[in-house]
Amino acid sequence: MSRQIAERRDARSAAQLPGAHASIGNSSPVLIVDGLTRTYAGAARPAVQDVGFALGRGECLGLVGESGCGKSTLARCLLKIEEADAGSIVLGGQDIAPLRGRKLRPHRRKIQIVFQNPAAALNPKLRIRDSLLDPYLRLGREAKLSRFAFASREAYVRQLLEAVELPAEIAGRYPHELSGGQRQRVTIARAIGIEPDVVVLDEPTASLDVISQGAVLDLLTELRASLGLSYLFISHDLAAVHRMSQRIMVMRSGQIVDRFGADELFADERHPYTRELISIF
Amino acid sequence: MILSIEELSIGSRDRTIVDGVSLAVREGEFMALVGQSGSGKSLLSQAIGQLLPPNLRASGKVLFEGADLLARSPREMRALRGKRISYIFQDYQGAFTPFRSIGAHFDEYQKVHGEKSRTARRDTAAEALESVGLDAALLRRYPFQLSGGQLQRAAIATALLLSPRLLIADEATTALDSVSAHRVLELLARKQRETGCAILFVTHDWRHVRRYANRLSVMQEGRIVESGGKHRILDHPQHEYTRKLIEAAPILGRSLRSGLGEEGQA
Amino acid sequence: MKTMFLRTRRIRPESKSGTRKSRLQAIVAALFVLLVASASVYAFGVLKHDPTLTDLRARLLGASALHPFGTDHLGRDVLTRLLLGGGQTLGYSLLALGAALIIGIPFGLIAGYKRGRIDRLFMRVADGFLAFPDTIVAIVLSGLLGAGIGNLVLAIVIVKWVSYARLVRSTVLSESQKDYVAVARTNGLSDARIMSRHLLPHIAGNVLVLASLDLGKIILLISSLSYIGLGAQPPTPEWGAMLNDSRPYFQSRPELMVYPGLAIVSTVLLANMLGDVLRDRFDVKKEAQP
Repeated sequence: MSRQIAERRDARSAAQLPGAHASIGNSSPVLIVDGLTRTYAGAARPAVQDVGFALGRGECLGLVGESGCGKSTLARCLLKIEEADAGSIVLGGQDIAPLRGRKLRPHRRKIQIVFQNPAAALNPKLRIRDSLLDPYLRLGREAKLSRFAFASREAYVRQLLEAVELPAEIAGRYPHELSGGQRQRVTIARAIGIEPDVVVLDEPTASLDVISQGAVLDLLTELRASLGLSYLFISHDLAAVHRMSQRIMVMRSGQIVDRFGADELFADERHPYTRELISIF
Repeated sequence: MILSIEELSIGSRDRTIVDGVSLAVREGEFMALVGQSGSGKSLLSQAIGQLLPPNLRASGKVLFEGADLLARSPREMRALRGKRISYIFQDYQGAFTPFRSIGAHFDEYQKVHGEKSRTARRDTAAEALESVGLDAALLRRYPFQLSGGQLQRAAIATALLLSPRLLIADEATTALDSVSAHRVLELLARKQRETGCAILFVTHDWRHVRRYANRLSVMQEGRIVESGGKHRILDHPQHEYTRKLIEAAPILGRSLRSGLGEEGQA
Repeated sequence: MKTMFLRTRRIRPESKSGTRKSRLQAIVAALFVLLVASASVYAFGVLKHDPTLTDLRARLLGASALHPFGTDHLGRDVLTRLLLGGGQTLGYSLLALGAALIIGIPFGLIAGYKRGRIDRLFMRVADGFLAFPDTIVAIVLSGLLGAGIGNLVLAIVIVKWVSYARLVRSTVLSESQKDYVAVARTNGLSDARIMSRHLLPHIAGNVLVLASLDLGKIILLISSLSYIGLGAQPPTPEWGAMLNDSRPYFQSRPELMVYPGLAIVSTVLLANMLGDVLRDRFDVKKEAQP
C-alpha cells in the first residue's frame, strides 16, 4: 500500500470512526470496516466502493439505499459469502477479510445475517428444528453460550423459539407450513442462537406485510437490548431505519454519501439525496 | 360514482373469503383499499374485471357506469377490459411475455382494440412510453433488459394506452423498493390528473398511498372495517384494526400520518 | 388485451382424493416391478426346471401341467426362462441405472456447486458424451470389446450418466443461489456437507422421476440389443434373446414370441407408469410449497 493511500485512510478513519457525528458509546467498536471495495467481473464501476464504518457494541447502525445501490453486496462481503477485492473487515480485533476456510471458521460465529426473503433463506426440505440447530452444531459448540446455554437439542430449540415469540410446536414443521412473519422469526432465531456479536439485517421486513413488519421490528429492538447485540440494519425504508438506529448511513451507487446520528436526520446539512429520501417518507 | 360495489361476496364451495363488501369509487378519484395479505382485497379487485380463479364465485353487484359487471358475458367483459377498465399487477415481470419486445405488446393491444394503421400504432406506443418517462427506444427492447421500475412504468403505459375510466392497481408498488415505488406512484398520480381516470389502488402498506389517495378503505378478513377520507382514516382512525395497521408502520415523525401539515408542504 | 391476460394464474394443488389415488397407483406400479423381479429370483430356487438344460426330445411342446407355457426349440421350459429373463433384464437395467446415478450425481453436484472452470470442463465432457446415440455406443463397444451383457451395461452407463449429471447440475445451479445456502456457508458448513445435506434432498425428486422413466427405456434397449445378438449371449435366458430364439418358429408356435414380447411391453409400461406417477407426486409437492 502506498504511503499516500495510507495517509488518506488515516485521515478518513479519524473523520468517520467514533464521534464524528454521533458517539458510539464508550466501548470499542465490535466491527470496523475500512476501504471495502467489490467490483463484479465485467461491471463498469464497483458495486461497493471504498466503504468504511465502525459499529459500536450494542449499537444499531442503519444503512439506507435504493435497490441496486450495493447494500446487499456489502452485506454479503461482510459475511464472507462474497470476497471483497480490497479493504479490511475487523471483527473483534481480527481482520477477517483475508481469511479463508479453516482459519475463518472460528470467526464465523461472531457475525450472522438475516435475509430479506425468509422463504429463500430457509431450506424447504429441513424441519425448523434442524435449521435452528445447524449453526450451533457447526459453530456454537466451542463457544460458551450464556443466554441460550445448550442443555439438549429439544431445550435449545425451545429456548430459541421462545426468544422470538414462536410456539414450541413449530419445531417439527417445515418452512412452507409457516406464515411469512413466522418464517422471518425463525431466521432471526437462527441468527441469534449462537450469540453473535454482530447481526447484519438485510431488509429483514421488506417481504412482510405491514403488521408483521412492525412486530418483527419490535422483536429485533427487544433482542438487541436483552442480548446486547449490534446490528447493521440495511433497508430502503428510511422510516424503519430511523426508528431502529442510533446512526444512519446513506448509500448510493456503491458509496456512502451521507452519515449522521438519527437525531440529525432533519438537519440542514444533509446530502441532497438524503433529503430526497426524506421527502418520500 | 364510476364504480359501485354492493354487497359483494366471494367464496369457494366451502369458504367465504370476501363477505358482503360495499365500496364506491367516484369519478376521477384515487381510492386506496388497504389490508393485510389474506384479507381478500386482491380477490375483490379481481372480481371487478371477472378475473377470479375458476374455483371462486362472486355474488352481489358490481356496478360500473351504472351497469352490473357480474352479469356481463365473458365476451362483453373482454371488450370492456383494457378499454374502460384496466389493471396493473404487482408482478411486473409477468406483465410482459418474455420473448416478445415491449413494442410488440403495445402494438398488439392497439390492434386487438381496433387500431388498423401500423404507423398510428407505432406513434401512439412511442408517445405512451415517453409519457411515463421512458425512452421510446425501449420499445425495441425485451422485458428482461429493463429494470423493475422501468417495467412497472411500461406496464402503466400499456394500462393507460386506451384511456380507461378506471385503473385498478393491485399491489403495483409492493415489489419495488420505496424509492422506485414512490416514483411510480407519482407517475400514476400525474397520469390521473392528465386523463381524469379513477384509480382503485390495492395495497398492504398505507404509507405507499398516503400522499396520493383521496379516500381509504381498510379491509380485514373479508370485510371492510373502516372507510373514509384519507385525513379522517389516517389521522383519526376509529377502528381498532386500522389503528394497529397504522402503528405497525413507521413514518418519519414530523407530520400527520396523512401527510398533511408536512414541513415545506404546508 | 391488457396485462391481465398475460398474468399466470396459480394452479391449485390437486385435491386430496387425487393425491391419494396417484399414491395408490405408485404403490401398485412399484409392487408390480418388484413382483417381476422377485418372482424371477424365486423361480431360480424353486422351479424344478433348469433354464439352460436342453432336452431335444421335449422341444416345442405345447402347454401342459409340467410346462405351463410349453417348451422352446431346445426343450427348455418357457415359464422358467421367462421369469429368470425378467430378473436378468430388470437386474441389468437397474445395475446400469445405479451406476449411471453413482457417477452422474456427484459430477453434477460438484459442477453446479463449484461453477467456474470445473463446470466449464464438465460441460465440454458432457457435450462430448451426448453427441453419441446410445445404440451406436453399444454397437461400437460390442465391436471393440466383444458382444455380451457386461459391455452392454457399460455402454448404457456411458450414455446415461451424462443426463443425470446435467439434471443435477441445473437444479444445483439455481438452488445454490438461494440465501439458505449462503447462510449455511456463513455457519461454517463444509462444501461436502452443504452438497449432501442441503442440496441433495432437492434433486432427489427430479432424479427419481428421470430414473424411473429411464428404466423403461433401458429395459427396452437391453432387450432390443440382445435381440440382435449384442446383449445377453445364449444360453442365458433374456427376453430379447428369447424373442430372437423363437423367430424361426413364428409360423408354428407364435406364442413363443408372444410371451417374451408381452413381458417386455408390460414391464416397460409399468416402469413408465411409475415414472408418471412419481412425476405427479413431486409436482404436487412443489406446488404446495410457495
